[in-house]
Amino acid sequence: MHPHRLFRSTPFRLAIAFALLFVCAFLLSGFVTFNLLKKELDARYYNQTKELFQIISQTYGDSDIQDVIDATRTHIVATTDKRNIFLLQAADGKILAANIPALSVPDGWSRRLGADFGIRGGFAYRIYAGNVGPDRLIVGTNNQETDELQEIVVTSFGWALLVVISLAIGAGALIASRAQRRLDAVRDTMARVSHGELSARIPLLGQGDDLDLMSRDINIALERLSLAVESMRQVSTDIAHDLKTPLNHLRMTLEDAVLKQAKGEAVGPELDLAMAEAGQIDETFEALLRIAQIESGARKSRFSSVDLSDVLSSLREVYGDVAEDAGQRFVFDTEGDESRVVFGDRELLTQMYANLIENSIRHAGAGADIRLRLFVRGDSVHTSLEDSGPGIPKDEHTNVFRRLYRLEKSRTSAGTGLGLSLVKAIADLHGATIWLEDAAPGLRVVLAYPRAASN
Amino acid sequence: MRILLIEDDERTAAYIVRGFGENGHQCEMLADGQDALYQATHESYDVLIVDRMLPGLDGLALVRALRVAGTMTPVLFLTAMSGLEDRVEGLDAGGDDYLIKPFAFSELLARANALGRRPHVQAEVTKLRVHDLVLDLIRRRVERKGQVIDLQPKELKLLEFLMRNESRVVTRTMLLERVWGFNFDPKTSVVDTHISRLRAKIDKPFDVPLLHTIRNTGYSLHAPS
Repeated sequence: MHPHRLFRSTPFRLAIAFALLFVCAFLLSGFVTFNLLKKELDARYYNQTKELFQIISQTYGDSDIQDVIDATRTHIVATTDKRNIFLLQAADGKILAANIPALSVPDGWSRRLGADFGIRGGFAYRIYAGNVGPDRLIVGTNNQETDELQEIVVTSFGWALLVVISLAIGAGALIASRAQRRLDAVRDTMARVSHGELSARIPLLGQGDDLDLMSRDINIALERLSLAVESMRQVSTDIAHDLKTPLNHLRMTLEDAVLKQAKGEAVGPELDLAMAEAGQIDETFEALLRIAQIESGARKSRFSSVDLSDVLSSLREVYGDVAEDAGQRFVFDTEGDESRVVFGDRELLTQMYANLIENSIRHAGAGADIRLRLFVRGDSVHTSLEDSGPGIPKDEHTNVFRRLYRLEKSRTSAGTGLGLSLVKAIADLHGATIWLEDAAPGLRVVLAYPRAASN
Repeated sequence: MRILLIEDDERTAAYIVRGFGENGHQCEMLADGQDALYQATHESYDVLIVDRMLPGLDGLALVRALRVAGTMTPVLFLTAMSGLEDRVEGLDAGGDDYLIKPFAFSELLARANALGRRPHVQAEVTKLRVHDLVLDLIRRRVERKGQVIDLQPKELKLLEFLMRNESRVVTRTMLLERVWGFNFDPKTSVVDTHISRLRAKIDKPFDVPLLHTIRNTGYSLHAPS
């Protein structure tokens, strides 16, 4: 990967950020630990120095300095590496016992470099001075051990840091490059799609992680898109075909009229027919536009709570007499007393049911029973519209929802072939599922809506 | 009636102007929205017929401007914009009716008539009367020649609409929109069915018919002339 791109890669950036964070945390905790340790060690050495001073000074008894001198000498002998310094000086300045030359320090704690009293090595000494009887005792301890310990700590800390940084960078790069590869696969797929290869899909790892989920969602969206594009292609072909036929009819009718006119005959019937044919073309266009608008989903912004029993009983009132005139019986039953409120558009729902009811009235034939039912099943509101007409062959049940699809036998009767596509579009807009069933005899159209949450 | 048509398609405009002329109305035509705004605020018209897509000032903006300026002349939108939202937008902007192209002239004429002769402020009436037919709006009761007629709620609504438009032609589409709230064209004879049921109740038992069918257009309820 080009370094420029590397720094723009989100997984890589994340890895770097986490490595940095990790290193910072490590440094901070190391610093705190080191300081605590140092403080503890220092305290211990101060104690040790003070203790030495006290041990020696306690040997002073009955104004006899000799014991103190002996004790100091014993300690001087025990100190081989100048770790501790001792100086016992009489009030007149005479050195009674010492492993360093004379030194002038104030009472209490002070600090001096070894070089001040001729000790090489560059160590510093913590010195405690005080009087023992008339004499003066100085005890000091150097920081060699602390320094060595510090060095050990810092060295091991440095190594650990090296390991931590390389691990963070290595693992980060590994994880980042894996994520990057998967993101690249997504980009690759999208590039292929945008170049027209609508069947391209993102390969899934099947791990169910977030990238997989996202890829799956993108795949689903792509699936829908390609279906939509496919159906659009189909529709444009169908429109071209389905509008060509009525346009051709219109043209023939007008030609007839022109010919008749030339012969001086009346052309009234031809003109009426031409009007009807133009109306049919307009209706097909209108239906296609309406479906496209509904499918765009813009109408959703006007959704509100709609009681389906209101919509349906009002339609029962409108179509009851129409069915009766066609020699049919149209009944509407509601079952149970649960809420049948759905979230939707009343006008569209009315149009959808009007469409379905009219289909039944037109196709079920005289003497048929048409039954509209409304009931609640679990969390969904169902409606079913059932007629005792000839029905639709089972293998056509899904085809009828396709745009401009018409059963062979109904090719000759009036209709745009868009009614059920419109119904399907409205059902989809409402998140409702629609399916056909064989009512043996006849057709049953079932719709299942998610029930609107009651407040 | 004096009508102002604002339409930029010359053929459509000429067709409409001629149509109104033949029906005894005076129809003037403008193609530009700006001109129309001036004309409509400075002259008095019974109805404005407005296309939505216009040069200068579009139809919606024109009607909004008119309403702001206090011109309350009824407006009928005549447009190819047939979208579900378009109608709502048109009516919200201050339009009184909305007719979609392509249209039949008889439909436009009926709607213009209904708008133009609408009394601007309707007095609160409690009873509608056409000849010897009386609709009591409060008791929701219909009588003819003193005889009570039993109507279903939808039939009553249909009759009320016809009576309020007494002597005017109401088209099927107008009935579908106003009585049933259908903004689509049903494939079955919804209108005819209900009209014939209504006719059987209010006309059949009596000697003088009041509800008349206007061929290819719609219906009209009026007293015998």
